[in-house]
Amino acid sequence: MNLSLLSFIVMGITAVLLSGVMITRRWPVSAAMVLIAIMTLLAGMFGLLEAHFAAAAQIIVYAGAIMVVFVFVIMLLNLPPEELRYGGVTVGEMILIAVSVFVAVGLGTKVGQGFLTTGLESMGVAQGESVAGGHHMYFPASENVKNVAASMFVDYLWAFELISFLIMAAVIGAVVIAKKRSAEHADAA
Amino acid sequence: MLTLPELGLYFSFLLFLVGLAGVMFRKNILFMMLSVEILLNAANLAFVCASKLTGTMDGQVVMFFVMAVAACEAAIGLALIIALYRTKASIEADDLKALRG
Repeated sequence: MNLSLLSFIVMGITAVLLSGVMITRRWPVSAAMVLIAIMTLLAGMFGLLEAHFAAAAQIIVYAGAIMVVFVFVIMLLNLPPEELRYGGVTVGEMILIAVSVFVAVGLGTKVGQGFLTTGLESMGVAQGESVAGGHHMYFPASENVKNVAASMFVDYLWAFELISFLIMAAVIGAVVIAKKRSAEHADAA
Repeated sequence: MLTLPELGLYFSFLLFLVGLAGVMFRKNILFMMLSVEILLNAANLAFVCASKLTGTMDGQVVMFFVMAVAACEAAIGLALIIALYRTKASIEADDLKALRG
């Protein structure tokens, strides 16, 4: 067993266990901190999968920007402790979890086996062929950022531009939703 | 012996399972949104593993798009949480039953 496989397994198991810890926290801030640890572990897994751009983006965008927004809103709400009632998992929920894990593991193993044994060729995806056409040439695997850029700005240019519109709409929508409606309150009073 | 991306698909499945349990069993809307982030991360891991399995960059590009959509979702969702807390003074899903869902 080589080192990269071993560290990949350790990171994956730690991430799954930490996500179990996260969903059972009582305080939102500790859950957010555990989630940052999970995202950092996932960034390490991306790095081992030779997706270096994805690893960097995971740290900068997810663990940096998105989680800062989460922590900021948690602090802004300033929830009183009695709002955070969480009595743990009940017996009925435990039975539900056990049944759904049983079904999901069974289904997932079957699907996973089918996916891994028949291979991607049976799904019509040839090795090294881009789904979006892929007329550009690929750089060596060590130049991951160049490869991602070649794919993103040639094959997926329209999707990339549309995503920027989506983010713009989301920013405007967030401001409109969260702003104080002082004029309406003045009218009502 | 499983290779790295094949193993990663199983980890992504397990992460998705735990995140789904969080969405289903926590009544606090903040925790539901944090669990949704776990779901999106599990999907990202699956995309990167698929990118490695097929030897193309498609998975990593789509993973970047999922990240952008996650940012939008966090912004809108947290704005909704702030607006809800202002009107209802609660972020428990059980207290938000104006639509009798």
